[in-house]
Amino acid sequence: MNALPIDLDLAWESLPALFDGLMVTVFLTALPLIIGLALAFPICFARMSPRRALALPAEIFVVFFRGAPLLILLYLVYYGLGQIEALRNGPFWIVFGSPFGCAIVALSLNHAAYMVEVLRGSLLAVPHGIVEASEALGITRRNIFLWVRMPLALRYGLKAYQNEVVSFVKGTAIVSVVTITDLMAVANSIFEQTYDPFTPILCAAAFYWAFVNLIRVGFTVWGRWLSRHNAEDAPLAIPAGQALQGLAGRAKVTP
Amino acid sequence: MTNLSLADLAGYLRQLGEGALITLELFFASFALAFVLGVLIGVATLSRSRLVRAAWRVYASIFMGVPSLLVIFLIFYGGSAMLAAVLGEFGARIDISPFGAGVAALGIVYSAYVAELVRGAIENLPKGQFEGARALAIPPFIMWGRVILPQVMRLALPGLVNVWSFMLKETPLVSLAGLQDLVAAAKIAAGATKEPFIFFVATALVFIAFSAASLWLANRLEERLDRGQRRAPVRSPAQAEA
Amino acid sequence: MIPRPHAAEPAAEPAILLAQVVKRYGAHRALAGVDLQVRRGEKVVICGPSGSGKSTLIRCINALERHDAGRIVVNGIALTNDEGTVQDIRQEVGMVFQHFNLFPHLTALENCMLAPRLNRGLSKAQAEKLAMAHLERVHLADQARKYPARLSGGQQQRVAIARALCMEPRILLFDEPTSALDPEMVKEVLGVIEELAASGVTMICVTHEMGFARRVADRCVFMDRGEIVEEGDAARFFEAPESERLRHFLAQILR
Repeated sequence: MNALPIDLDLAWESLPALFDGLMVTVFLTALPLIIGLALAFPICFARMSPRRALALPAEIFVVFFRGAPLLILLYLVYYGLGQIEALRNGPFWIVFGSPFGCAIVALSLNHAAYMVEVLRGSLLAVPHGIVEASEALGITRRNIFLWVRMPLALRYGLKAYQNEVVSFVKGTAIVSVVTITDLMAVANSIFEQTYDPFTPILCAAAFYWAFVNLIRVGFTVWGRWLSRHNAEDAPLAIPAGQALQGLAGRAKVTP
Repeated sequence: MTNLSLADLAGYLRQLGEGALITLELFFASFALAFVLGVLIGVATLSRSRLVRAAWRVYASIFMGVPSLLVIFLIFYGGSAMLAAVLGEFGARIDISPFGAGVAALGIVYSAYVAELVRGAIENLPKGQFEGARALAIPPFIMWGRVILPQVMRLALPGLVNVWSFMLKETPLVSLAGLQDLVAAAKIAAGATKEPFIFFVATALVFIAFSAASLWLANRLEERLDRGQRRAPVRSPAQAEA
Repeated sequence: MIPRPHAAEPAAEPAILLAQVVKRYGAHRALAGVDLQVRRGEKVVICGPSGSGKSTLIRCINALERHDAGRIVVNGIALTNDEGTVQDIRQEVGMVFQHFNLFPHLTALENCMLAPRLNRGLSKAQAEKLAMAHLERVHLADQARKYPARLSGGQQQRVAIARALCMEPRILLFDEPTSALDPEMVKEVLGVIEELAASGVTMICVTHEMGFARRVADRCVFMDRGEIVEEGDAARFFEAPESERLRHFLAQILR
């Protein structure tokens, strides 16, 4: 063992394989993020419904898929669902029969459960008075949701969303247990071939770190763009025609 | 239940029970380590020195930026070599057990989160707390132990509860390094009995129940601490006179 | 300024009719059978101690609160639980709130454009023209592209007034429009409301600004404990209050 724990040659040789692994990790992040979010909306509406028959199942969903460790969820989907005869013979076996499908299902359900709570918290953070003002303007409930509640909820919940996405990315590292060769699995297999305990894992760590921080930066930029209303005036878009006349006083306030 | 005899079931239940104990031990040891390390790091990195703050940033960024599983593997595979590098010949002979690797990894990873909570809480303390203690010429050690940290803990409690439940859900990762914990036992039982659905659901429920119980406890604790805080200004003059 | 139109319209039908309106919160009766008629073009000021039900009363008119008993008719439309009816009434009635309730993520101009675009399907250019015209009316055309966070309280409230005007309502409700403002900003907001009053719109204003009431109100209404205790034209209302409760109230606010 030399002073530097990293074998640079090995690292260089492993890069292509690790990069392939990273792509799998990226894919296993992106798809469940989309599916999970899509699931989270209806479940969140049910959860917030005053009707007990809707709220209770949604709550049970959240408690179970949020409270169960991801690894157990993955085992449950991968090993457990195969037990169900109807599923095994049904058309969905394309999904549940493959490790990839199982991983996506387990990750999506887990993400959905977390997102229900993120969404709910963000929607509840929207000041009631603003919703009321929209109602008083005669805006329909659907439009209030689309144009007032959701845009504001996004601003209030962005930090929580970022945290969830980041911890979700890190959570995907377990998929190797169902034989998927993601970034972690690639690092592990290089270790098994070379018995170098540092090089592959530290390289994988660098990839994870870069991916996670790319997401963080993305969220920061997004957040800054969303909260531009707190920071400065809207960029001076050329206002249509006659509107310009009233803007003579603008020059003073524009930095 | 297809072909599961009562004797078999009892056997698996015993294994599951033993596994659960190991999971609990792992969890408490890791949380204790994370807590102690986190508080120490949190307090130590409040220093105004740029170097210290930069070191904290790097530490936090690394351990918040990589999966816990990766850290577990790193310590499990590379722990002996690391110890050898630090301790010389003697260290090389120490074998790292999955349990030890798990405790070290989870402890280190979550210490970053605890440290961040502690730092945030200290920064939110009114400045007067420090000045008051300094004006009274209270020695720093006592100031931290008796004045600052108790208040910090109260402020950090909701965050610590989060860390607690998050960490609980990550303890099963150590089974991937070969620890015979609850999840490993469930996997064995599931495979042997061909009843994976029941065993995994039951295991999940154990985690959920434990999590719910600790949340309940935390809420009680929070209520008590809040009550103490609200009463304090009324009570203290009377107590001072007594 | 447009001349008061109420002479031209059929005088028989009141703009707002409340008959025996009751609103309960649990066992508490916030409105204990209120009767009130407001003619077209009439300006009514409602005052009363806090908790007297005055806010509840005007919030029942546009169904922000649903009344439990009695009849509410707005511009000939009887208020029912039917969602369509509620929307119809809200198109007729504009409301200005104590705490402005502007959309924080939209500029002053966009705040004004939102409801016309969503409810009436105006194009962006049409909505912008309309919004600029009303911002002009509240003397804020030069602030149109600022976000609410960058405006003073008085300016925010004037934007809120412009936003309500953009739906071109025939009735305006003001719920303590100046009580959240610093004293130096009260005047600019009251000034704008007075200018509106002169344009002939029907107006109900909950306020304790007695000078304003004298100048603008055709009629003053005093509420206490969920009922109308006394009403009359402004001069008599302040100089010769009949009921002991009103005398007591006036003594308190005028000091």
